[in-house]
Amino acid sequence: MHELTIAQNIISIIEDELQQRNKLACQVNKVYFNTGRLNAVVPESLQYNFNQIKKERKFTQNAELIIKEIPITIKCEDCQAETQIDEPVFKCQNCSSRQIKVIAGKKMYIESMDIE
Amino acid sequence: MTKVKMVRNVLEKNDKLAEQIREMGDNSKTVLFNMMGTPGAGKTTLLESIIPALKEDYKMGVVEGDVATANDADRIAALDVATAQVNTDRFGGTCHLGSEMVKPALEKINYDQLDIVIIENIGNLICPAHFDIGAHYNIAVVSITEGVDKPAKYPLMFRNSKLAILNKIDLLEHLNIDIEEMVAGIKQINPDIDILKMSALQPNDGIALNKWIKKRGRRK
Ligand SMILES: Nc1nc2c(ncn2[C@@H]2O[C@H](COP(=O)(O)OP(=O)(O)O)[C@@H](O)[C@H]2O)c(=O)[nH]1
Ligand SMILES: [Mg+2]
Ligand SMILES: [Zn+2]
Repeated sequence: MHELTIAQNIISIIEDELQQRNKLACQVNKVYFNTGRLNAVVPESLQYNFNQIKKERKFTQNAELIIKEIPITIKCEDCQAETQIDEPVFKCQNCSSRQIKVIAGKKMYIESMDIE
Repeated sequence: MTKVKMVRNVLEKNDKLAEQIREMGDNSKTVLFNMMGTPGAGKTTLLESIIPALKEDYKMGVVEGDVATANDADRIAALDVATAQVNTDRFGGTCHLGSEMVKPALEKINYDQLDIVIIENIGNLICPAHFDIGAHYNIAVVSITEGVDKPAKYPLMFRNSKLAILNKIDLLEHLNIDIEEMVAGIKQINPDIDILKMSALQPNDGIALNKWIKKRGRRK
């Protein structure tokens, strides 16, 4: 599963952010991670992988990963409605048009972290 | 406690390098195809069936992704095309190719001298779809034996591909399935995708796939 790669990337971004601020000696308490549903990240698996590898670094050894899933939002090019979809059926929930653009639910990013 | 705001794409490294790879391809007029799909869907067999004709017209290269073995790369190298093998066990045995694995493989086969490079990704319907490897076109391969609901379970792969190949159509008569239901499922995910129903074992079926690739390839 690519959750391991994601967990590794989260830790290297944290390291980079701390380094930029000269704060590598800090402790990270919480990491706020957002992932669009389209990424099909399995939260339990990401959590597990993160907890496995966080101990390898001093600054993340007690860090808690907080995962927020962002629903898939589409915008219809016919009726302009913005609707959310729960299934992988990419059609407007308002008028059933298939001419849609995904406007949310694709990205995967760290939003912030709490350090001390 | 201090709050550190950032908003950083977790795949930023991979995505940046992928963009670089695509630009490298643009600069040398090399078109890169990323072939993804389940293990056993028939990706290597499809390559074996189309390469002999393709290499008549284009300078071809193939990058073979695999977790550990070189079996697929050996099958392709036997066709006398530039082949590089990427074993992901060096990268922790991941289930997808990443840009950092693809770039050295492309360099090894001197991609800039080639017209077309096809990259066979690791057999997996989920993970490869999440990692841009710098290809110009993604191709999703599924075998019809895997069940008509497969695409709906793995939407991103079909969402991100320009072509879906429904392979092993020769087995249709033995299966109790409605192939049009599979086609409809894929179109629901991506209405713009091209779909080829074919058998890698039927040389005639390879012609349509060759055409699709040739339409996008550029001869130097
Ligand atoms: N009947 C049938 N078998 C196929 C077809 N394409 C591939 N196969 C068989 O499926 C198996 C896996 O094929 P392979 O190309 O190695 O799959 P890959 O893992 O996607 O590269 C092999 O035994 C192939 O001979 C097809 O169109 N029809
Ligand atoms: Mg193969
Ligand atoms: Zn609409």
